[in-house]
Amino acid sequence: MSHSHEDHERTMSTDVRTTRRLSSVRSSLTTAGLAVTAMIGLSACASNAPQDTWQPAGENAQKIHDLQWPVFTVAGIVGVIVLVFIGVIVFRFRDKGQAIPEQTHGKAWLEYLFIAIPAVILAAIAIPTVGVVLALAETDDTECIINVTGQQWWWEYDYEVEPDGSICGFAPSAGEASPIITSGQVVIPAGTNVLLRGTSRDVIHSYWIPRLNGKRDMVPGRVHYLRLQSDTPGIYAGQCTEFCGLSHANMRMETVVLAPADFQRWLDNELEPYQSPAEGTLAKEGEATFITQCARCHQVNGLVDDKGTDDTSDDTVVVSYPDQFVFSGAAPNLTNLMGRNTFAGASWDLLTPECREDVWEASPEEFGEKYLAGVTEDCLNDIDLREWLRNAPAKKPMYADAELLEPTDGKTRGMPYLALSEDQIDQLIAYLLERK
Amino acid sequence: MFTTGSKLLLGSTVAALIGTLLYGILVGGIMGTVGLVSATAALGTFAAINIFTRDANVSVDDIDAFAGAAAGAERPGSSMWPLAIGLAAATITLGLVTYTAIFMLGVILLIAGIAEWMLQAWAERASSDANHNREVRGRLAYTAEMPAAAAIGLGIIIYAFSRVMLGVPSKASTIVAFSVVAAVVLAVGAFVGSNRRISAPTLTGLFAVAGVVLVSGGAVAGLNGEREIEEHHTTAYYAQEGKCGTGEISADEHASQTVAGKASQAATVVLSDSGLTYTFPGLDQVRSGSIQLPRSSAVNILFRNETNEHRRLVADMAPEVEGSPAKICSQLVEEGGVQLLTLNYPVPSFDPSVEANGGYALSVPGVDGARLEVVVP
Repeated sequence: MSHSHEDHERTMSTDVRTTRRLSSVRSSLTTAGLAVTAMIGLSACASNAPQDTWQPAGENAQKIHDLQWPVFTVAGIVGVIVLVFIGVIVFRFRDKGQAIPEQTHGKAWLEYLFIAIPAVILAAIAIPTVGVVLALAETDDTECIINVTGQQWWWEYDYEVEPDGSICGFAPSAGEASPIITSGQVVIPAGTNVLLRGTSRDVIHSYWIPRLNGKRDMVPGRVHYLRLQSDTPGIYAGQCTEFCGLSHANMRMETVVLAPADFQRWLDNELEPYQSPAEGTLAKEGEATFITQCARCHQVNGLVDDKGTDDTSDDTVVVSYPDQFVFSGAAPNLTNLMGRNTFAGASWDLLTPECREDVWEASPEEFGEKYLAGVTEDCLNDIDLREWLRNAPAKKPMYADAELLEPTDGKTRGMPYLALSEDQIDQLIAYLLERK
Repeated sequence: MFTTGSKLLLGSTVAALIGTLLYGILVGGIMGTVGLVSATAALGTFAAINIFTRDANVSVDDIDAFAGAAAGAERPGSSMWPLAIGLAAATITLGLVTYTAIFMLGVILLIAGIAEWMLQAWAERASSDANHNREVRGRLAYTAEMPAAAAIGLGIIIYAFSRVMLGVPSKASTIVAFSVVAAVVLAVGAFVGSNRRISAPTLTGLFAVAGVVLVSGGAVAGLNGEREIEEHHTTAYYAQEGKCGTGEISADEHASQTVAGKASQAATVVLSDSGLTYTFPGLDQVRSGSIQLPRSSAVNILFRNETNEHRRLVADMAPEVEGSPAKICSQLVEEGGVQLLTLNYPVPSFDPSVEANGGYALSVPGVDGARLEVVVP
């Protein structure tokens, strides 16, 4: 009898332990679930979110924003109602050993109601949605055209010279305008309706600056249009949103909005003739290194190869031929590299974190001045730029291994490893620092 | 009835007898004839003994065992698959020294031969009833054999028919394909459909004859070779030949009908009495003088002719650059017609080699002043 009692006690003890363990596991899971939910919820409250569609800074983005508020509100209310309804039904009619109720089939008025309610909601959403879609497609009031071309894994921008000799309605302060080519950052004047005419040189990419407009695919052989407009000077970040290969996640872009006066200064700076570094400087050595190592793919407008002689008759304009080395047929134009704050497809900043923050956090009134200061020697992000020049494919995943390029006829997708010496890197950085 | 050993000995006896007769009649010689007669008699004796003893497997007195002896069992059915496998081995060897296609054919034949032979051996052991065994084999094998045979047969018919079509003149081939053959098929189908008493062997024979005629025709046509097929050049060829002028070329037919409705253009270039102008889609502004186009990117230019004459658009490219043509031209476009021109500039317009050739431009032959300078940054 006592033996049976001990067994019973032991069984009871085991049951209690099992119950406590289950309770503990349940408690842990509940805590983890609440933590994850809270984390997701709180992440939506981030104030420093440069790619936040809920902080529109342009006309078109505002139109999208004005549409998404009611749509998400209605969707949220419907979602909550459905979830609560399901929860109530699951709880109230849970299995308590009761008899199965009588099964009936069909209730016409309920079915009509369940069709009518979503139909009315969808119709109510469709009307403003179609209106916004049509409004976003309007281009009649374009004031500035900029061509944007995607390729693995960076964006190129070239600015059209208008028939009246201006660019985006701004005539150069001196001399004649010529097309401007840049990459990574597109600079637009505030309050101007800019039309991006986009295409791609290799695969499909997608252009998206969330705070200025929606997405637009860029398809090889086709031309697509996207409006950019903002009244507020500042930098607006974006990212390629169509998977385009190995470094898709590193294909970023930034739109820089400058006040008209600042845009004029930027334009004049871009159109300034090329100035060769002073003789005997490290930058001058860097120019020669650039010509031998970089210029076959990267164009610097106005760069002349004097072949080390004083005879100007030997000077030849240095023209890059990226189509012979790169699969997409293009490489970033580095004429004014230090005038923009990023490199390598806007994946890395040319500014140190402190200087970058100073520019990004600047007020709209101060922004232009700080941005146009460009990259100074003190503000140069020397670490990332050196790493890039030392071994680009090690820093950003690219198809640049010479042994694996048979399908592309020996052409790389991205920048290859150039085996530059540390001295050459010093020279190149000194040279590039003057490119602004 | 005859055991394996008996067959061998009886066959040898018959062969010896024939040899004896031939030798005795044609060659003569007593010793040889006697020797051969002796050998024939000996072989005949052995054959008789062997038949009596059932290949010496069982005692002649044991009647039950005699009937069920292994040597007395029915021999396995004949098989063509060893022959096919041998042929496959030869084909593989031939393919190794000649063409990959022959090698692959040999491998397929080898795999098919092995599979069929194994299937046959398996089916023959299914029961003692040969008919049942054949049925068992058929159930499994036909699922693969029938589609394969149909595909091969269809392939032969299509190939033979195509040889005939390529052998006869194009108009004749069109008439044969869409009139004669279609009429014959319709007639045969109608005949078979209306005459329900037609027997299966008759139909089989009919189709067999048609098949033989078709394959024979294909073989003859194939040996004779294809007819001479006229080559149609594109505008790229004529541009290379320097024939992008005002005259009509063979590539100009149906010019405006070759523009796809969904063609995406970078610009629309219009030729009118006032010259060459252009517009960018999405921007209502007519421009002239120069047009900016991207580098290393294929762009479509839509050319619209609004004059009374047939005109074409010509693009001056970069002849000094490897892979770039000297010129590209559109087809000759009628009044109000449109045509696309796809351009891809590999180097910028400030490249010295481009400048030396007068730069990139779009122009219309025969129209003075109809010219747009192309700026490629």
